[in-house]
Amino acid sequence: MTTIWHAIFGYFYLVLTVRVLKRRPGAQMTPFEFVLIFLIGGVIILCTMGDDRSETNSVCAVVTIALMHRLVSYLKTRFPKFGLIVDGTPVALVERGVWHKDLMRRLGLDETDVMAAARVKSVKTLDGIKYAILERNGAISIIKNDS
Amino acid sequence: MPADIETKQIEDSVAKINNEVAVGSDLEFQRRWWRFEHILWLALTALVILDALGFFGRGWFAKAEAKTPDGSMRIEYERIERFGAPSLLTIHFGQNAVRNGGIQLWASDSLLHELGSQRLIPQADRSALDGHGILYTWVAAPQPDSVQFSMQPAKVGSAWLTLRVPGADQMRLKIAIFP
Repeated sequence: MTTIWHAIFGYFYLVLTVRVLKRRPGAQMTPFEFVLIFLIGGVIILCTMGDDRSETNSVCAVVTIALMHRLVSYLKTRFPKFGLIVDGTPVALVERGVWHKDLMRRLGLDETDVMAAARVKSVKTLDGIKYAILERNGAISIIKNDS
Repeated sequence: MPADIETKQIEDSVAKINNEVAVGSDLEFQRRWWRFEHILWLALTALVILDALGFFGRGWFAKAEAKTPDGSMRIEYERIERFGAPSLLTIHFGQNAVRNGGIQLWASDSLLHELGSQRLIPQADRSALDGHGILYTWVAAPQPDSVQFSMQPAKVGSAWLTLRVPGADQMRLKIAIFP
């Protein structure tokens, strides 16, 4: 029973922590962000499992986390506002060739991050970007400047 | 297309930027979220500082010392424990704790149940259930001038621990156990 409560607490605690970190974990991860993800995962597993390393405990913890994930997925589709809280909202970083510097600063992004995404779309220079949008999953979508 | 599949005509329901790119951005929400993030980070920073100071156990604030008025015992313990985390409780005996060539210590059963006592060093020569507690007796010379309980709290909440040298003043300690 303790494991189930720990798994539920751990799941929501991690969702909140990852959500309030800057948007990058989960997409466009650098080695520095890999460290973050692995370390957080490693720390949370210790308190979830405790001293009980039995298969029963492991199965219960995994199933609880899976159920929490299903519940959150359902709530996201049922209540769009809940989806906004869990996943955030897309943010335009570049709009018709104009940078939104204040938004980028608050999101912890700079022009090199946008250019990294632009190169994937074969855009070679910044002026080739018409729109750059930071998506809910942390990826940056690029819409090319046609002119 | 099979008849039992629910379908819906595509609608232009996602908010657009400059009326040309359907992004569904909600900047007002994003700004509210940043304000929330700011408050949350302040709270998390405070949490870490309080933890470093021992307000959640294992630190300067958590360590405590208590002494019986007659000087029979001085107890070093942690007033804030953590569930499942090992800790020590040390009892230093005064000269007046020695009776008839031996030392006896009565501890309430919360020592076992809530505080999860694992080990006692040095081991008592005798231990017996006595009311709602356990009576430990050391008779062999040399008498220990201090004993140490190694604990691993087994319940979350608060525990009252009563310690007494029979015939002397007792000490009642309140210990909080954090999850």
